[in-house]
Amino acid sequence: MTAKILSLNVNGRDETILCDGLTTLQEVLRDQLGLLTSVKDGCTQGGCGSCSVLVDGELWLSCLAPVAALAGRAVMTLEGLKQSAGIAAIQQSFIDNSAAQCGFCTPGMILTVKALLDANPEPSHDEILEALSGNLCRCTGYLPIVEAVKDAAARLSGGADAARASEGREG
Amino acid sequence: MAEYLLPDSLSEATEIIAEHGRALAIVAGGTSAMRCGTCRGKHGRGILCLECPGPRLVSVPNAAFVMGIQRLGLDGVAPANGGLGFGAGLSLSRLQASAPIPALRAAARQVGGPALRNMATVGGNIFERQPYGDVAVVLLALDASLTFAERDGERSQTLAAFYADGAKQGGLLTRIDCAAPDGEVVFLKCGRRRFNSPTVVTVAVCIALDGGKVRRARIALGGAGAHPMRCAAAEELLIGAALDPTSIAAAAAAAADACDPATDVVASEWYRRRMVATYVRRALGEIEQGS
Amino acid sequence: MASEAPKAEALNVVGQPVKLRDLKKHVGGQTSYCDDLRFPRMLHLKMHRSVQPHAKLLAVDTAAAARSEGVVRVLTHADLPGGELWSGLATVGGAGDEPVLASDKVRWKGEAIAAVVARTPEQAEAAAAKVKVRYEPLPAVFDVEEALAAGAPNLIAHWPGNHYIFGDDHAAAQIRLGDVEKALAEADRVVENVYQTSPIEQAPLETIGCVAVPDGDGRYTVHTGSQSLSSTLKSVAAYLGLPANRLRFVSGSVGGGFGGKADLAVEVTATLAAIKTGRPVKYRYTREEEMFASSTRAAWRVYIKDGVMNDGRIVARKVTTYHDSGAYLRMSNYGAMKHSTHWPGPYTVANVWVDVYCVFTNRTPSGAMRGFGIMPASFAIEVQMDRVAKAIGMDPWRLRLLNAYRNGDMRGHHRAVKDAAMIETIQATAKLSEQNLTGDLQSLSSWRQKAG
Repeated sequence: MTAKILSLNVNGRDETILCDGLTTLQEVLRDQLGLLTSVKDGCTQGGCGSCSVLVDGELWLSCLAPVAALAGRAVMTLEGLKQSAGIAAIQQSFIDNSAAQCGFCTPGMILTVKALLDANPEPSHDEILEALSGNLCRCTGYLPIVEAVKDAAARLSGGADAARASEGREG
Repeated sequence: MAEYLLPDSLSEATEIIAEHGRALAIVAGGTSAMRCGTCRGKHGRGILCLECPGPRLVSVPNAAFVMGIQRLGLDGVAPANGGLGFGAGLSLSRLQASAPIPALRAAARQVGGPALRNMATVGGNIFERQPYGDVAVVLLALDASLTFAERDGERSQTLAAFYADGAKQGGLLTRIDCAAPDGEVVFLKCGRRRFNSPTVVTVAVCIALDGGKVRRARIALGGAGAHPMRCAAAEELLIGAALDPTSIAAAAAAAADACDPATDVVASEWYRRRMVATYVRRALGEIEQGS
Repeated sequence: MASEAPKAEALNVVGQPVKLRDLKKHVGGQTSYCDDLRFPRMLHLKMHRSVQPHAKLLAVDTAAAARSEGVVRVLTHADLPGGELWSGLATVGGAGDEPVLASDKVRWKGEAIAAVVARTPEQAEAAAAKVKVRYEPLPAVFDVEEALAAGAPNLIAHWPGNHYIFGDDHAAAQIRLGDVEKALAEADRVVENVYQTSPIEQAPLETIGCVAVPDGDGRYTVHTGSQSLSSTLKSVAAYLGLPANRLRFVSGSVGGGFGGKADLAVEVTATLAAIKTGRPVKYRYTREEEMFASSTRAAWRVYIKDGVMNDGRIVARKVTTYHDSGAYLRMSNYGAMKHSTHWPGPYTVANVWVDVYCVFTNRTPSGAMRGFGIMPASFAIEVQMDRVAKAIGMDPWRLRLLNAYRNGDMRGHHRAVKDAAMIETIQATAKLSEQNLTGDLQSLSSWRQKAG
């Protein structure tokens, strides 16, 4: 059994990581790279979406990704998205719509919404349901989350709303 | 714990296959193979094992080596001879965005959520255990063929023959090809919820009509047997007949009769058999309405 | 204390929308859960669980597990001081009937037998699989009524007859009001049905887990996702024979509980492992464990026999129910007691007879989940109300309103109703769901006795 050293760009920084066989991206992010614990571990089988990350801008489930195959690729977690376009509006929409209770699914939800709105700035109700279909939430019943997505889409498409969102974020 | 191998070329990959034989598991998107089943720890992390109850995928128990296919350039869309061609490593989200046949796009869309579809591949879908593998059911209705790379060269096989043979994996699945469909293709899925649902049953039909009569019929079922299956009895009933409520009802009954669904946490054998009849009737009905 | 109620505009919380305080942390991914904690030299605990639903343990061989890569310690029943039995409600007087690690017998498929502590979770899991257990299978019983039948295999010597023993040595919790048999005999119709609910897993997104950390001075800090922090601390102290001041329990954010984290599950073993190894020990359920080994909402079987008059009055309700505790008591007696006091539902019935059995079977032990005990009663009652309505050809809204309890009515457990709002709730529901109630039903009120 040989451990491998490889280079991975995480949250904008090139990182050197050590991996064994089928070490997952989730394990590396949570345990090797300064505890990026916005990446949760809800099921370790791709069923809950709480470990969602962006790989080269695409939404991935980090618990199913062998990190050995990701050399040279760029991974973003919620920690690295602080300055990213639109993220503040999405976060504020989640706050304003009370779209989280226990919070365990929330980072994965926010990354999923970010990926959705990047690809489709004005999603329909059905498109939102479909986009969220891989992220489980046991507390909210999803309705406030769907409202938050609609709210975020509106804020990001309207200048005044967007400004209010960023003020709310500071306050 | 398995060692992860990541070849850069097909020749390197086929060498690895030849060298390690049954000690090797091939992983594409990882969405099935990386799921930690009941044998986690016992047979190495994430390697699903035929000896354990629960999820099964990798046909290599106790794999000592795992091979990733990410660097083999298998993620493209490459039509050949005027038909459709997909690299085995094409992600389902790209299939959903690019497939020229609506039924294929619909089937891809029905697999998992968006994140899973960004990782899961068309090739992986062929090997999915039942009742999963929705895309494979459409490919079966399109009479797709598979190309496997081996050290000695390429080998092709129809998807129908592959499943009839027990889905035995030899070599590396590199591409999936099918002729442009010569008829109407409809895919329907019976699930437990609208999006990201496990499969109760899936039905894909490809029907060519000629002067009001069925000239060619291919009916494929998912969740209805050990593998996705064609339903010859139903197809034979339709060929030469007018596509009308009588022939459709007969074909639906024949499909329900011929299938061999399992009982699992998603649905019972009883329910699946009834849903096969219902969804075959609906799928053929859509073609009847459109003709 | 204010002598009179404050004016509405002076209220800061009541009637005002209140934001969850930790929302901002949640959306930034900064909320830390038990699973996010890391300590230097932290070890991981995994459990070897029974594959038999009911069996004698002839031998537990941990030698191969102890030799397995990365293993620091293996714990069995013999490592537990005193080997006492615990109960979910021990701190409020529940009877102890459950070992932390099985000793002589296993009573459900999934019962904890041996805990393996290793450097990584994978090493612990691999080693746990190497524990060898020799079983002598015993006849198992999976149905509540079969468990109560004569000749059924007995699970726990403490519970002969396989049922909990309620106060005054009763096999069932009993509710008695009026004369049910007489009222049934005099009723226009008798409507009799049986209802069955299934076990339900709470399935919180964060699975059950804790980290026990030695403080270095003989004290231990336990970080846990438990919903019952202080009772869990008391239980761990009692079980491990430690004074309570040697334990400090810290609850962070709980990643969903819904009752599923109310039971004692991981803390005793993790703390014992921290004591034995002198190192921080994390014990967190995998999703598979959460699904098959954690307490579920109990399954119930409910028999209802109603005596009904043609004018819609329910004059008698005779009920026998069976609560499937699974293999051990945990909080089942509490759930069964809540269940019994809920009868005959939010309706006034003059003659009530209820027997509630709390039964042990070789199934996964059940525990708390959102209104446990109440929900299966409400389910059965409301389906029964629809069936009664159908049997006498009455609109189900009318049937419920006619029988809804009013202030001053006598409940099954001999307490007069206060602060009733059933009628007003139904009226408001009708309005919201665009049901047109007739004038006589709209004029009903919880403050007026029913006509006749």
